Amino acid sequence: MLLTLEQFAEACNTNARLRQMNRDWSRTIAILPTDRPEVFWLTSKEGFIQAGQGPVNAADLQIRADHDIIVAVFSGTLSPTEPYNAGDLLVKGSQDDLMRLDIITLLIWGE
Amino acid sequence: MKHVVSVSLGSSRRDHQTGVVIMQENIQISRQGTDGDMVRAKDLIESLDGRVDAIGLGGIDRYLVVKDRRYEIQDAKALAGAAKITPVVDGSGLKAVWEPYVIRQLVARGVLEPAQKVLLVSALDRFGMAQAFYEMGFATVAGDLIFASHIDYPIASVEELEEFARKLLPDMIKMPFAMLYPTGSAQDQAPVENSYGKYFDQADVIAGDFHFIRRYLPASLRGKIMVTNTTTAADRELLQFRGLKTLVTTTPVLDGRSFGTNVIEAALVARSGTLPDDPQWDRVVMQAGLQWDVRVLNSLPDSGKGD
Repeated sequence: MLLTLEQFAEACNTNARLRQMNRDWSRTIAILPTDRPEVFWLTSKEGFIQAGQGPVNAADLQIRADHDIIVAVFSGTLSPTEPYNAGDLLVKGSQDDLMRLDIITLLIWGE
Repeated sequence: MKHVVSVSLGSSRRDHQTGVVIMQENIQISRQGTDGDMVRAKDLIESLDGRVDAIGLGGIDRYLVVKDRRYEIQDAKALAGAAKITPVVDGSGLKAVWEPYVIRQLVARGVLEPAQKVLLVSALDRFGMAQAFYEMGFATVAGDLIFASHIDYPIASVEELEEFARKLLPDMIKMPFAMLYPTGSAQDQAPVENSYGKYFDQADVIAGDFHFIRRYLPASLRGKIMVTNTTTAADRELLQFRGLKTLVTTTPVLDGRSFGTNVIEAALVARSGTLPDDPQWDRVVMQAGLQWDVRVLNSLPDSGKGD
């Protein structure tokens, strides 16, 4: 999981367009697998994304799903919309943030 | 007399009915808003099926046509599927054919000049208009990410717009439509405070969906030209007060308001019997005698009360 999130962060950070899009998007995202004890996080600040493991305080966005779904979404093998619409991916936070995460993943892996 | 109804996910406060002459025939048209309620909209379409000549889908796009690809929004597909007999159209066929023609005519008549800067608030639902602006040399910013998703990223070329469409739309059409576009009471909300005024300030021409424009309308529109539709008399007063120089609506103004493209497309289908995916559709649109409308709201460059 952590490797997947780190690769996701690297894909964002090496993409000039995504850095520009996220330049004013400062967020802490808690990634909470429902079938594993470990928790993870992503942060976005000044256009750069970082990934890590462990609990975070005051996350702006919480993402809950089975480990395999989270890995699939953040590695680009599954679009977030499908598990979200099916209720298998739960997101707590603003709709704008959810939409942005979806757009980021699609711009990295879409088409 | 032919009768068409626009079933809209928009606010019922904008309901109205009137008549329009299409190809020398009077057509009765009415608009019924369902305040963002998908179930109500579906029930209404079911109840109208077989009883009217065509149904327009308002406040929602069924098809997003970008270059040679057509993407179907799933929520709209479900709504349209509620009618088994009566054709249901969303205006995309009219936008694809008519709006690029209007833009070229506005340039030919000197209303628009390619040296002007354009803000097209949403281009994925109006690719024909976007393509016309880009091809004619207008420096054009497409604001789809800015106004629909609140990502401050202007799209500045038709190639990038096409790339975004290819990457985003196959997935985004599966999202609940309310995540993509304001529906129901969200359409009636007063202009919101936002940081996107710079895009309006930089533009000479503001074009596209009026709900997006109105929602982010800056205090001053002094000297600017707007190309849109679905404006009412109250909207024109607002735009005049903000200093807008010229309002162009791509659809005819009937009883003081310019109708949505879905309404006019439904009237065309009812009158001609030709559907938008018919090879004859372009000819039907161009021979229908449609009119755009140009109104000068503030004749002096520094007139208006916008700031």
